[in-house]
Parts: sequence; C-alpha cells; structure tokens
Amino acid sequence: MHEIGYLHLIPLLPLLGAAINLILGKRLPRPVVHFVACGVVFAAATLALNAVFGDLYPLWKAGRAGVPAVSQTVYTWLHAGDFTLNLRLVVDPLAGVMILVVTIVGFFIHVYSMGYMAHEPDYPRFFGYLNLFTGSMLILVLGDSLPVMFVGWEGVGLCSYLLIGFWYQKDHNAFCGRKAFIVNRIGDFGFLLGMFLCFVTADTLSLAELRDKADLFRTVAWLGMPIAFWVGLLLFVGACGKSAQLPLYVWLPDAMAGPTPVSALIHAATMVTAGVYLVARMNFIYILSPAVMAVVALVGAVTALYAATMGFAQNDFKKVLAYSTISQLGFMFAAVGVGAFSAGIFHLYTHAFFKACLFLCAGSVMHAMGDRGDIREMGGLRRRTPITHWTFLLSTIAIAGIVPWSGFFSKGAILAGAFGAENPAFHAVGMVVWVLLLAAALCTAFYMFRLYYLVFSGECRADEHTKAHLHESPPAMTIPLMVLAGGAVVGGLIGITMVPRIDLVSRWLAPVFGTGPGAAGAHHLSLGTELGLEALALVIAGAGIGIAWRLYHNGYSDLVKALVLSLRWAHKVVFNKYYVDELYDLLLVRPLRGLAVLCHRVLDAFVIDLVIVNGSAWAVDFLGRGAKRLQSGDVQRYLVAILVGVAGIVFFASRPSASFTAPRQARVGAPWQADASPLLRSGRELTFAWDFDGKGKFEALGARPAPHTFAKPGKHRVTLKVCDRRFGSSACRETVQKVEVTP
Amino acid sequence: MSRILALLVPLLATAPALAGGQPPRATIEFGAPSMWGNPAFWVFLVLAAGSLGLAIFTITRRNAVMAVVGLVGSFFCLAGIYVLLYAHFLAVMQILVYAGAIMVLFVFVIMVLGREESEPWALRSLFTKVVGVCALFLLGYVVLRLVPTPALAAKGGAPPTSFGTVGAFGDVLFKEYLFPFEAVSLLLLLAVIGAIVIARGKRAPRAEDAPAPGAPKESR
Amino acid sequence: MVPLGYYLILAAGLFAVGALGAILRRNALIVLMSLELMLNAANLTLVAFARAHHDMRGHVLAFLVIAVAAAEAAVGLAIVVGVFRTRKTVAVDEINEMKF
Repeated sequence: MHEIGYLHLIPLLPLLGAAINLILGKRLPRPVVHFVACGVVFAAATLALNAVFGDLYPLWKAGRAGVPAVSQTVYTWLHAGDFTLNLRLVVDPLAGVMILVVTIVGFFIHVYSMGYMAHEPDYPRFFGYLNLFTGSMLILVLGDSLPVMFVGWEGVGLCSYLLIGFWYQKDHNAFCGRKAFIVNRIGDFGFLLGMFLCFVTADTLSLAELRDKADLFRTVAWLGMPIAFWVGLLLFVGACGKSAQLPLYVWLPDAMAGPTPVSALIHAATMVTAGVYLVARMNFIYILSPAVMAVVALVGAVTALYAATMGFAQNDFKKVLAYSTISQLGFMFAAVGVGAFSAGIFHLYTHAFFKACLFLCAGSVMHAMGDRGDIREMGGLRRRTPITHWTFLLSTIAIAGIVPWSGFFSKGAILAGAFGAENPAFHAVGMVVWVLLLAAALCTAFYMFRLYYLVFSGECRADEHTKAHLHESPPAMTIPLMVLAGGAVVGGLIGITMVPRIDLVSRWLAPVFGTGPGAAGAHHLSLGTELGLEALALVIAGAGIGIAWRLYHNGYSDLVKALVLSLRWAHKVVFNKYYVDELYDLLLVRPLRGLAVLCHRVLDAFVIDLVIVNGSAWAVDFLGRGAKRLQSGDVQRYLVAILVGVAGIVFFASRPSASFTAPRQARVGAPWQADASPLLRSGRELTFAWDFDGKGKFEALGARPAPHTFAKPGKHRVTLKVCDRRFGSSACRETVQKVEVTP
Repeated sequence: MSRILALLVPLLATAPALAGGQPPRATIEFGAPSMWGNPAFWVFLVLAAGSLGLAIFTITRRNAVMAVVGLVGSFFCLAGIYVLLYAHFLAVMQILVYAGAIMVLFVFVIMVLGREESEPWALRSLFTKVVGVCALFLLGYVVLRLVPTPALAAKGGAPPTSFGTVGAFGDVLFKEYLFPFEAVSLLLLLAVIGAIVIARGKRAPRAEDAPAPGAPKESR
Repeated sequence: MVPLGYYLILAAGLFAVGALGAILRRNALIVLMSLELMLNAANLTLVAFARAHHDMRGHVLAFLVIAVAAAEAAVGLAIVVGVFRTRKTVAVDEINEMKF
C-alpha cells in the first residue's frame, strides 16, 4: 500500500468551499461564490486525476499481488480498548473510477449551475450544499472503513434532503425532501445493522482487514445461512434505500422537486449510484453467498423493467428521467448481482455522463419553457434550442444503446454477464435476469425516444406567451451539455467487452474484483455468442426506437390515443405508478400515523402534559400554598419557631445513645465478648441490659458483660438496651447486632 | 394580674423538676441546709429576687420609660451577683455599658417615639405562642434536669486571689482573645455606621442644603 | 459560697422572662429590652461557670457578649426609628409585610 500526502485534500477542498459559501456567502459577490464553488471542485478533480493517473496507475501497471492502492491515514478517529479506527482514505481502481466521475461530472454540473441558478437570490446556500455534497460523496468513495463510508453516506443523504427541499417555501418541496430522508433512513438502518454484523463477526470495520478475514463470513453461519448472506442482505437494504431499488425507490421520483442540477448530480450521476458502489466495494463478501447475489440480481432486474414501464405514461419531463434512472440503477444491480462487477461499474460510469447530460438538457428545456416541465406542452423545440436538442439526442441514443455510443457497450457488458452467469444457489437466475433486462432495454429505448419526440419534434404545443419566450440557454449551461454529451458518445470505447485486450474497464478493475467464482462474468462466452448477444441488444433497441418513432414522431399520434383508449385500465395503473405510493400510504403511513396520534393524545397530552408536567406543577403549587403560611411576616412567630427548634434539638440530643462493639462471628462454646463501655464516657448514669439470641429476656449485666458462649450454631441476635435513669423507663434505646455462630 | 401569673407558670414548672424524682448523683450541688446561716447566701437571695422581679416588672409595663427603669434596676442587681461571683470588672462593665450606655440609648429612642400603647400584649396567633411557652418549659426542664453531667461539677474552694481582677481579665483578653476583641471592635464600628444610615432615612435634597462652593462644610 | 445550681436557676428564670417578653409584647422597644434580658441570662451562666471552674475565659466571653449586645441595641433601635418614621407604629405584630 502506497502512502501519499494529499488525498485528504480531495474531500476537504469541497467541504472548505461549502464552509466558505454557507458562512460567508451572503456577504460575497456572486462571481466570488461561483469561483469558490467551481474552483474547489476543479481542484479536487485535478488532485483526483493526479492520484489516479500519477500515483495509482504506475502501481497498477507494476501488477504486483494484491489490490494496487494509494492511501493516506489522516488520523486516528476512535481508539477504544483493542479497537482502533483510523480515518483512512484509499484510492484503488474502483475508488479511482468513482472519484473521477464525481469530481469531473460534478465540476461540469457546478459550471452549469452558475447559469441555471442565475436568477436565484439564495445562490450561496445552493452552491454551499452542492460543495458539501461533493465533499461527502468523496468521503463515501474514499473511506477505507465502513464507519467512514457511513459518514459520507449520511452526508450525501443530508445534502440530498437539503437540496430536494431547496425551495422549501413551497410545502410540496419540503415534503418531498422529507420523504427522501425518511425512506433513506430505512436503508441506513440496514447499512448500520450490516456494519454491526461485520464488527461482531470479524472484530474490525476496516475494509482491508475485512477482506483479509473474509473466510470468517463463509464459515460462521446463522439460521442455516453463512454470515456473508446476512451481511450482504443488510447492506443491500442500505443500497436499496440509497439507490432507489424496489421496494424503496418511491422517494426518487419525488426528489425531482429539487433544482435540476441537483437531480443531475445527486439523483442521477453520483449519489444514487452509491448503493452500487457499496455492493461492488463489498464484493468479497457478496461472492461468498450465491443466494444474496441472486437476490441482488433479481431485485435489480425487476426494478429495471418495472421502472422502465412507468416511463411510458409519465408526462413530467424530469419524472420520466427519474424512472429511467431507477431503471438504469436496476441494470447496475443486476450486473453486480450476476457477478459482473466491472460491467456494473462500467455502466455506472457511462450512465453518469449520459444521464447527467439528459437531466441538464431537461433543465435547459425547462429554463426555456419558463420552469414548466410538462411534456404535453412541449414539442418542436428542435429549432429553438438547437444545442440542447443535439446533446439530448446524443445522450438518448447512448441510453438506448446504439453502437458505438457508450450505453451500447456498458449495457452489452451487463447483458452478456447475465447471459453467462452461473449461480449455484439459483441456476436460472442468469437467464431470468437476462430476459428481464432485455425487456427493460426495449422499454428504455421506447420511452426515451418517446420523450425525445414529444419534446423536440412535431409542433410546439405551448401557449403563445411561452412560445415567444423560448430561447437557447447561456454558454455556462450549453458548454457542460456538450462536454457531457461528448462523454456519452465516446465514453464507452474504453470498455469494449468483446475484445478482452482492449476492454480497459475490466482490466483496470480486475485487481479489485479478482477472479472469484462470479467475477469471470462474460469472459467465458465465445466471441460469436457475444457478438450475437450484442446484435440482439441492438435489434431490441432499434425496435424500441422504431415503435417510439411510429407513435410519437409528430406529437401524439392518433394511434396513441386509440391505444390509450383500448388499454384504459392498464394505462391508468401505469399512469398512477402502479398505486405503490397509495399502497405504502395504506400499509405503513396510515397505521404509523394512527400510532403517532395515539401516542400524542394519550402519552403526550394526557400522561406527560397533564399528569407529569401539570401534575407536578399543581403539587408544588398546592404544597407551596400550604407552606407559605409558615412565612407569616410575624417575627414573634419566628421566635417561637426558633424556641421550639432549640428545645427539640436539645431534648433529642440529650437522650442516651446505644452502641456496642463485638465480633461478627463466634464459635459454639467459645467465649464471645461484647463491650459498650465507651458509652460511659458521656458522664451519664446509664444502665445496660443485654439480651442474647433474641429471646426478649433482658439481663442487667453492665457495660461490659462477662464473655458469653453460644450453645447452638446459626445466626443469633444480640440486643443491648441502654437507659438513662433520669429519663425513666421511657427513654431507653436499643441496638441489635447479628452474630454468625459456626460449629 | 392573671397574666403575670400566667407568665410565672413555666418558671414554677421548673421547680418540681428540680425537687422531684431521684436526685442526680454527680451533677450540680445545691448545697446543704447549713447554707442558710451564710450571709452571702442571703445577699444572693435578695439580689436574685430583685433581678427576677424587676425583669418581670420590665416586661409587664405599659409605659416604656418605666420598663427601662425596671431593666436598669435588674441590671444593677445582676452586677451585684457578678460581684458575688468574683467578677468585679464585669460588674463594673455591666453598670457602665448596660445601665449607662445602652439603656440611655433606649430612653432617647423612647423620647423620640414617645407614645403609649393602647394594647401592650401581642395576643394574635395565641396558639402558636402557647406552643412557644411549652417549648420554653421543655427547654428549661431538659437543661436543668438532664444536661448537667459530672464534667460540669464545680471545683471546690475559693478561686485564686487574682480571679476577676482587671489585670487577670486583660491577660486573657489580650493574649487569648485578641482577634475576637478586634473583630468586635470592627463590629461596633459597623453597627455605628449602620445605625446612622438606617435611622437617618432618606431626606429629599433641598436647595438650601447644598453647600455654596467654597463655603466651609457644615458639621452635623 | 453560693452553689452553682442557684445561679443557673436564676439565669434560666431571667431567660424565660426575656423569652416571654419577646414573644408576647407588642412594643418593639420592650421586645428589644427582652432580648437584652436573654443575653444577660446567658452572661450570668458564663460568669457562674467561670467562678465554678476558676476560668477567666468565661468573663472574656461575657464581655464580648456585652459588646455585641451594644451593637445589636444600636442597630435594633435604629431600625425601630426607621420603621416608625414610615409606618407610624412600633407594634411588632403590625409590621408583618415581609411575607409571601
């Protein structure tokens, strides 16, 4: 492992930018805020490039055993007993891909935001959050242990919440942010439990040490499954929450309430892929349990198809893209689930470019349309926004998967990986996933081109005012669009899976994903099979595009209306997103709300407010009303009180006290001596009466009686009664000691 | 008159406690019947009756000046008892400070306030005060009957010849009790200042009160 | 010589008279005089025990008590004058504003 000294700057610089913009931003002029926000991300990108190509690449090329990685131990975070946790950052090939995607795509989205948020008065807060997000995401990616990753994981969740509700003045946006936050909490719970389980199993949380102890996760079992299954499942729950997979995907469509650059950066390119990254990062655990791999693959594939069908009937530009994102994330999970980890990461990388570009195009279009996103009002924007149109078209081709656009290669790698997958727990999983993904690919091509045609071709359906206002966006927005579209077009060329020699992605990531049972992925397919699969994918994509062209190339065709009419029922279900939100509302939200109302009415309002809070106040008030009579203001009564007190103290202090010293243990027949003679020093006339064994017969034996012998073993009570003759018999005191008598 | 008797009840109540029950063995000696032939004992009885009687006279007077006169008489009798106890210096102090200074102060204040009360007895919340009287009774009983121990028993015989003289008194005061002595001097100073501040009250400043610039300060 | 017990009884009597006066009289001046009586009773016990034990320290303590009593009388009388100035009364049971 190679130590370098500047890794900590990569997340620290964006966090510094966030601090500057959030604390001082309101007093800084707009250009300074822009410069700080973009500058820190640019600097982070430069450092990331240097770390990957300057420091990591030579190590990777040297090809020594183990994972090539550069790292930096910043400081010791926790130290408790035997357990030490360092804040340690690591760049290995996997993290390298991620930091490049985060910083480079992130930088262009920052630049785009300068133009997009030009009319926003509260821009320092926006850029501060955006920088905070970038820093958190980099911590998540670079962290070398689960807790450090979790810090980043929570950080991006927080930023997501803050940015979805950026325009919190509208209730709807705040509710959407809250929904995202709460659904993510469910996932985080899984992440935490998985983390705890790792710690319980292996006594460590560092990823490197967990990897070394991976055998433990296979050998230790619980409920008939290896621990790897449970850890994998719990972490996958976390991944589902963060990456919007079934059944926790519901927050992502609503997350579109945030500003569009946020949707592009957080809810398309980077944060939502954190779940995929987590599964890929923990691959050494996942490959130990084929069962959990099957679960991941199936959930991913089903989500991919399910979300894709929902894209058919959505009318909101960004919502279509949101379902598309869920669907594409499903592809990625399917890939890591069938063991094609590098294909999943490859798709993550290409997806970051084309989906960021699509979202930014959406922002550009909505900018032109006066912040309206209903595609029914659009159409024919090709001529009015040419750059947006071309970049959107290029990205749409990429996502549809036409050769040689990037999506073709990454999606092809996934399909090939699924086709060739072997899973000892569930043999058919590869084929099932493959079929589902193929169907999802068809749907993807269809709904994306439907979107394209509805927005950019045909006649404009907007009102006259909007039409007059249509314009292309400023260069700050179009330049990032062009750059990202360029990435979407050529980005896939680095991972041509058909030819292993030039499949740079797989080779680059090979040290991380190793050559485990599932990792071989597509490589044992013959070239012919693979070419056949790619051709099939191409045909499928073409079919999807063709259907979309037939139905929508000139706005809504009559055929569409006829179809919607004949498939009323199905259309309604899809249009209403399968009623999942309503189902969750019925099953979870309402019962929980009922419980909360119950707690509020009974526990809070009655028990706490009425009984505990007001009750104690009433009690104090009642006692105070009584006690205040003591303070009469009459000094003579006070004097009486003093007299009574003095008399009482003197009276009780003058009574005799009783105590004696004696051993706690005795033996049968042996002499046992009790002694109360120190009491005589008080100068009083005292009489001493003793009772042994608790019989109630007191004998006046004096302060120091003759040694006593106990006849029987067991516990005996010795009582001393002390009387002062001047008080009479009423003023005697007694004291008891227990003696344990052994034979 | 009945009230005076009521006041005497607790005093009388202590008497049977002293007389009755088994006499404590090694506590406080009350002397033998031969005491009655001792003239000093007769002097003590006269002075004790005088001081106690004048004390009762003091707290029952309606006229405050009469009360002061009674109290001064009581203090004179106490000074005589101090002489019997060989405390010559304290006897002088008792007359000088108490009868001389403090009581004159009282008289001045009575002259300032100068009014007779319509109702001299504070009989509000009488029950509380009855409780107080009972507590007093209990206190007397406990103190006189139960507290004395052999450790308190008197040494026999006459004290040394220097006992109670100014020299012996100064010896103890300035060697052993120098700090309390100085502390008390400070306390007296503070009391003087405090008394002036409290008794003078707030006076509204008047124009003619303000001294003309350069004029000598008026002494008060 | 007169036995110690007689002095103590006399002191107890004086204390009781003083306490009764303090509890039962309305006139603040007479209450203050009663306090002086109680202090004198304490002084008498000090002097009597000093005589019984041949110990001069009792005299010194009694002397200090006289000094403190002088201070107390000065301040107490000043308070009475001050109160009388505003309230036009020196009856202690009417001066009971310092309460709840």
